[in-house]
Amino acid sequence: MKEKNVLSGNAAIARGFYEGGGTVASSFPGSPTVEIMHELNTKYRDIYSEFSVNEKVALEVGIGASFAGARTLVSMKHVGMNICADPLMTFTQTRINGGFVLVSGDDPGMLSSQNEQDNRIFGKFAHMPILDPSDSQEAKDFVKYGLEMSEKFNAPFMLRITSRLCHSRSIVTLDERQEKELTGFSSKLEDYGMIPPNTFQKQYDMKERLEKLSDYAENWRINFLDKKTGSGVLLIASGIIYENLKELDLDLDIFKLGMIYPLPVSKLKELSNKYEQIIVIEEMMPFIEDELKINGIDCKGKEYFSFTGELNTEDIEKGLYEAGIIKDMENEEVADEVTVARIPMFCAGCPHRPVFDILKKAKASVIGDIGCYSMAVLPPLSILNSIISMGASIGIMKGMSKAYIAAGKNEPLVAVIGDGTFYHSGMPPMLNLLQNLDPDYNMTLLVLDNGITAMTGGQDNAGTARFGRALDMNVSIESIIRTMGFDRIRVVDQFKYKEASETIKEELKHEGLSIVITTRPCALNFKIKETPFQVDPDICIGCRSCVRTNCPPIAMRKYDGIEKLKSSIDSDLCVGCSICAQVCPVNAIKQMEDGDE
Amino acid sequence: MNSYNIILSGVGGQGLILTTKIICVAAMKKGYDVKSNDVVGLAQRGGKVWGSVKIGEKIHSPNISHGEGDILVGMEVVEALRWRGSLKEDGIVIINDYRIPPVPVITEKEEYPEDIEGLFGDGRTMISIDAVEKSRDIGSVKVANILLIGILASKTDIDKEFWLKAIEENVPDKFKSENIRAFEYGYGIE
Repeated sequence: MKEKNVLSGNAAIARGFYEGGGTVASSFPGSPTVEIMHELNTKYRDIYSEFSVNEKVALEVGIGASFAGARTLVSMKHVGMNICADPLMTFTQTRINGGFVLVSGDDPGMLSSQNEQDNRIFGKFAHMPILDPSDSQEAKDFVKYGLEMSEKFNAPFMLRITSRLCHSRSIVTLDERQEKELTGFSSKLEDYGMIPPNTFQKQYDMKERLEKLSDYAENWRINFLDKKTGSGVLLIASGIIYENLKELDLDLDIFKLGMIYPLPVSKLKELSNKYEQIIVIEEMMPFIEDELKINGIDCKGKEYFSFTGELNTEDIEKGLYEAGIIKDMENEEVADEVTVARIPMFCAGCPHRPVFDILKKAKASVIGDIGCYSMAVLPPLSILNSIISMGASIGIMKGMSKAYIAAGKNEPLVAVIGDGTFYHSGMPPMLNLLQNLDPDYNMTLLVLDNGITAMTGGQDNAGTARFGRALDMNVSIESIIRTMGFDRIRVVDQFKYKEASETIKEELKHEGLSIVITTRPCALNFKIKETPFQVDPDICIGCRSCVRTNCPPIAMRKYDGIEKLKSSIDSDLCVGCSICAQVCPVNAIKQMEDGDE
Repeated sequence: MNSYNIILSGVGGQGLILTTKIICVAAMKKGYDVKSNDVVGLAQRGGKVWGSVKIGEKIHSPNISHGEGDILVGMEVVEALRWRGSLKEDGIVIINDYRIPPVPVITEKEEYPEDIEGLFGDGRTMISIDAVEKSRDIGSVKVANILLIGILASKTDIDKEFWLKAIEENVPDKFKSENIRAFEYGYGIE
């Protein structure tokens, strides 16, 4: 009997790449797909895998590997597709040599993303066939199909997954790896030199391959009719929506799509004649619904199901009830439980805490960027005034300054960017700052260098070497910025609170551009654990300076025999960073000593 | 075959993802079909985390509908409370009597809820334990989640040997003995 395991969707994709003879894989970390590359990095050491510096570079590494004949996988979160769209839209015209699968992790409901873009549109835009698995077994199988079929049909495949699939586990049957021989690069200019006139023929090639795939899809077993006794209505679903729908156990036929683009049009047309009504159930945009309508198949969908968020079993039931397909609803509509909200906060010992405490006290309004420090937009800090995309803070700061200059104002501007984000896409806007730089305009850029790409779970990046890891890239942001031609650069250790505060406040006042680089590493990834601190309630005056740093172990509490609330520190959660002790005006917080409870 | 809808909840950093994984592996070893959901999102940074495990003969969706949960494992008090509506009227609540104040409590805008048992209602069985203190006695506060798994395990028909194997396969070797002791302690609670 074959071995089985319980795998998450992400782990199953990594396994599928291994079994399917994968050779090179690349990615940039982003929820919900981070675990794919992490699995390949840690469990399948024979496969070359890397977290590249950004998604564009990751795709280009993948393109090179595929050109050379290797089976290749490139994975990213949905917004990563925006970063790599440039090479993608041209690569997709070329002749596929080594099988190529691009994994896009979409995020219906925006569980961890700045937008909800539906990347199925991107797949169609790039003339790519799109696979949409329903569980971990399919996730694994579809990677293998994608690798194989992309070689057969000369098309890069998109494997479109959602947060829910990535992070849900189900049982998977494991198979052996099939080795794939490396074919080498064919170097035919008409296939790879993508300028006109070579690109003219490619438009026809892309059209033709999708037509062939549509024909193939008619009998491909990943598209199938799940037949019941009920008649009159045909439901169409794919991905995890199919499983959520199955949960209702309806006596209605379901056409389950494994490949959602191109559709098996002839088969669906033929089938549509047998039903009075076709209902498409899909999350986000009406993609399948529109494809059916374009092909002259009458159907309904989005008028019953939300255009945003996830569609759980209850939502599907409600939509079908509104469509008049089912007569009773088992699941009642219920209001969310009301209890105290728990919003994310910086970890105990997080190096961002003192920086934002200092900025908050200075009443700064800060242009934000993407990373753990994005959480400074949340209460009680609420100090970031905008968050757009990776590396955007620097360009936005420049644009604002130019607008204010045009209006005759010198409004001080502050922006933050992390190290991972700086390497990803902060360097071009940094260079661009030099162009027409107004020497007297007050701008302060804080580079929060915590030595790792932290928000996504801690991936080594170009600057991690200074903490003794990932030694192959040992980049100093200070040197890069200095080499570019900036000279007012201050480097601070923010755990020396007073000094850091003085430096940052000086730079906030400086009439001109100044750059402050903070150097403390991520507490979560470098496991900072010093002796915890404790509050002496007899000294504490209850001023809440420590509480306002918003640290998980610190809260006001009632002590026996003391009337006023005093601060307290949960020693299980405290990692001993000392920031609370440094902001305490009366020295009531001290490191624990042996024998303290 | 029986079926179990299990909901888990806690705060980022309490080891919830490992906990759901161990439950899945134990169920698979018994021969059940199983699907799980893990927390998704920003939650790891001190936010709320939750998961679900569905065990039975054939499982479709990994999601548990409102009011369909058989067992709720709350690794923190407010987080247990947040999911009470997911539980059947006669469901079991296994609650770690451990409080991590969320931001609105830290900032004194809201109070940390009291009278937890009352809020869960009469029909439900509640097993409350300070798993953090107990696991400190056992050897490490980090095994509190495994202690709670022990209690959960005793409420299912999945054999003890499968639970022990699932734990051994999924925890680091050097912490194996503390984890097994924590499981045994939980499993032995009446």
